[in-house]
Amino acid sequence: MGGEPLYLEPRLGPRLRSLLESAELLHMLTDALGSPLNLVVPDQIAENLERFRSVYREHHLSGQIFYAHKANRSSALLRRLAATDAGVDVASLGELQHALGAGFTPDRITATGPKNPEFLWLAARTGVTVSVDSASELDQLAALVRAHKLSPVRVLLRLSGFETSGVKVLSRPSRFGTPVGELNLLLKAVERHAGAVDLAGVAYHLDTTSVAEKATALEGCLEALEVCRSRGLRPRAVDIGGGFGVNYLAHGEQWERYTTELTAAVLGRRPSLARGGHGYGLRAESGTVRGSLGLYPAHRPVAGARYLDELLSQPAASLGGRPLAALLLEHLHDLYTEPGRALLDQCGITVAKVLEVRSPDTGAELLVRLALKADDVALEEHGVLMDPVVIPGNGTGPRTKTGGEPVGVHLFGSLCLETDMITRRTVFLPRRPAPGDLMAFANTAGYAMDFHATRAQLQPVAHKAAVWQDGDTWRWCLDDQYWPITPPGEPH
Amino acid sequence: MRYDSITEAIGNTPLVRIDPDVHGLRNIDLYAKLELLNPFGSVKDRAAWNMARPHLTEAVEHGSQVVELSSGNTAKALAVIAGMHGLGFKSVTNRMRVPEIKDLLLLLGAQIEELPGQSECLDPTATDDPLTLFHRNLSASGSAYLHTDQYFNPRNTEAHLTGTGPEIVKDLDGRAPDWFVACVGTAGSSTGVARFLRETDPDVRVLGLVAAKSDFIPGIRTIDEVQEVGLFDPDTYDTMESVSADDAIEGMLALNRRCGILAGPTGGAAYFGAVRHLRQLDAESAERQVAVFIVCDRVESYLSYVRKRRPDLLGRPPRKNSPADLSDAEIRTAPAIGVGDAQAWIATDRPLLVDLRSPYAYAALHIDGSVNIVDELFAELVQGGLPFSRRQPVLLACPVGEQSARYAALLTRMGHPDVRSLAGGIIAWRDAGAPLVRD
Repeated sequence: MGGEPLYLEPRLGPRLRSLLESAELLHMLTDALGSPLNLVVPDQIAENLERFRSVYREHHLSGQIFYAHKANRSSALLRRLAATDAGVDVASLGELQHALGAGFTPDRITATGPKNPEFLWLAARTGVTVSVDSASELDQLAALVRAHKLSPVRVLLRLSGFETSGVKVLSRPSRFGTPVGELNLLLKAVERHAGAVDLAGVAYHLDTTSVAEKATALEGCLEALEVCRSRGLRPRAVDIGGGFGVNYLAHGEQWERYTTELTAAVLGRRPSLARGGHGYGLRAESGTVRGSLGLYPAHRPVAGARYLDELLSQPAASLGGRPLAALLLEHLHDLYTEPGRALLDQCGITVAKVLEVRSPDTGAELLVRLALKADDVALEEHGVLMDPVVIPGNGTGPRTKTGGEPVGVHLFGSLCLETDMITRRTVFLPRRPAPGDLMAFANTAGYAMDFHATRAQLQPVAHKAAVWQDGDTWRWCLDDQYWPITPPGEPH
Repeated sequence: MRYDSITEAIGNTPLVRIDPDVHGLRNIDLYAKLELLNPFGSVKDRAAWNMARPHLTEAVEHGSQVVELSSGNTAKALAVIAGMHGLGFKSVTNRMRVPEIKDLLLLLGAQIEELPGQSECLDPTATDDPLTLFHRNLSASGSAYLHTDQYFNPRNTEAHLTGTGPEIVKDLDGRAPDWFVACVGTAGSSTGVARFLRETDPDVRVLGLVAAKSDFIPGIRTIDEVQEVGLFDPDTYDTMESVSADDAIEGMLALNRRCGILAGPTGGAAYFGAVRHLRQLDAESAERQVAVFIVCDRVESYLSYVRKRRPDLLGRPPRKNSPADLSDAEIRTAPAIGVGDAQAWIATDRPLLVDLRSPYAYAALHIDGSVNIVDELFAELVQGGLPFSRRQPVLLACPVGEQSARYAALLTRMGHPDVRSLAGGIIAWRDAGAPLVRD
């Protein structure tokens, strides 16, 4: 196995920890609903929302927190949020219908992303706010409003290509949004369509973990709003999108050790950590590491609401160096955010049954086959490295608690394809699993749960159930059966 | 000493003995090689000059831009050298985390490009990392660049093999030290010096210092990051150890305050790492030994770095009339007035209306007739006493009525009889439909 086992233990909040300790329930549910099985924890999303709200409160900011629906299609999570004061950000016709059906009123919905005419019409028809990508989309929206005699639609102008003075940030080009340099053209279109659209504000969403890049964009939006005001328009909101991140791992030291060993493995100084010597983006060139680590920074001390707080605390160089939050407040702007993954932190797990544990003759890692396809739990697809929790078949709680010898395993799935590997890397487990055990992947609700799931080869797609705590016991229902009035104790 | 060009002043830096009372080693003489005394301020002057010099004539002919991946000292030296030759300089980096250095580079005329952060939603199909793209752009046909390539350029190491190393031996009367301690950045100085010292005496032991993985020390790489450096060869070092940012600042303080050496955190890390490592040997051996470490650059550029990690070190005496001294009760009971009453009060008593927001926000929208004194400035003003007559009623306004309540309490405590805070602030004013203007 080559030295000490390299664990990457998941970070577990009290709810997920308690759920994973409920071995009997997890076995009962997988026996009843099949493997794989997705479990979502609606109460957690409300708690996460509250964390974001408290950052707003700390900075005295008003404005809406829109859950980015695309991160998980669960009805239970959406309906639980509908019972709070959150909004939802929808990126397709289906998501818009889902949100309306879950109880979100149009004033709590924004429509973003690439839009087909039906999506745009339903958005305009119901009166949700539309985040407009380009001048041509604005034209298209205005034409719909006029043709169907609809009320003016609130729009946000999605901008991109922000630049700083002094230091140029080489941000990745985005295919979304209008370059901020073309703002005037966009505003001319807004003025042209005055009776059909109502400018609510400006927006950006950058796919980066860099606070500095986002701060630059937010500063650019503040300046853009000033341009709007100087033309007599009265926008109020800045929508800064999401991408606030999740901290997946319990221990920073494990992550640091793992990535160091990965570098050593790429340089050939230790046995490979993955099948076929895969280096996750790193490669060796004459003894030097080249490339960049294509992994999600799985241990992130500053993530979620704390990331938002850090972003809002950045000074705006071109506006006198005051923190961005102070500027938003002083300019009387509302702050809109669209967290997806961060709102889903600790909101769900994916469970699969161990079907087979095979010892190769070569003495290499054990091969563990699960009743699950790689697409059903796409942690690796997103570069999130995190160990599963093994729940033994005898129902005595997670096996991490009991003794036994550590093993290195490769997890593979149920598709008849060489590529159907749940993990390309060697996963270290505290002891050898056995058929009939369950493997639970923690914290999969954001993007990893059903984002990539298919019915390939007529293999089952995971059922989804909502679970909640009633005193000391966990209760459950099918995801689609969950309404915020379902849990006992809630008013019926 | 008379020179024709500032570049002649590069090198020949002093080797200064650290007072044993400071480091506490009984049998080891510890010397600091003061690279901070190079003309552009750091050890990188040597490498920058040695790498650029052979190509300058050609670069001037072609009007090339000097380009380097550098977050600090190499960029600084190259910016100066490029400027002296009428060339432009561009630094590409994602590690420039010290604002003073960024500003200084801009002041020197450098162009800075920052590499983007990691993607939040991983794109498994992405094939190129930003550095690969950078190298591809450099080699694209028709581009005129002088790329000094400090992480791979052997002339970086050579500058120390022929300069820094021989100077140390010369100043130790022809002997190599028993120990050489260096922080590893580009590995140029540690590799070059170590090679020369070992040629003089194969028994020299070399201690390489890297930053603790989760920490950031300017100019030092972490144990993983050194693997990306072409000049890094693990065999150069007898021992590799890591130092934390706190250690670096501790070491820096000792050098600054007790040795009169105005070293930055990298020099501090080298000193701290040296003493920590040598202490054990010192206790075990009675043999007289000599150790040398490198002080890479100066402290002045790192004040914000220190402020962020050790604000206590920059503590100042408490200020008079500070809103920070107010109790919660004082703030809670500060005289306040709601929007409706405030409008009536403004109409009848014409209070002086002070808007505490930033000038940008004020310029965008404000209450008609108000004056703008931004809160930071207001805090300065009241330190010296009441900034307006006691007979003049005052209405303070801020975004939500929180800052204004503090200052209303403070001014009341300072003896103003009629100062009030606009309850709910400008936001309440707006939400009540009261007029805001931009003029």
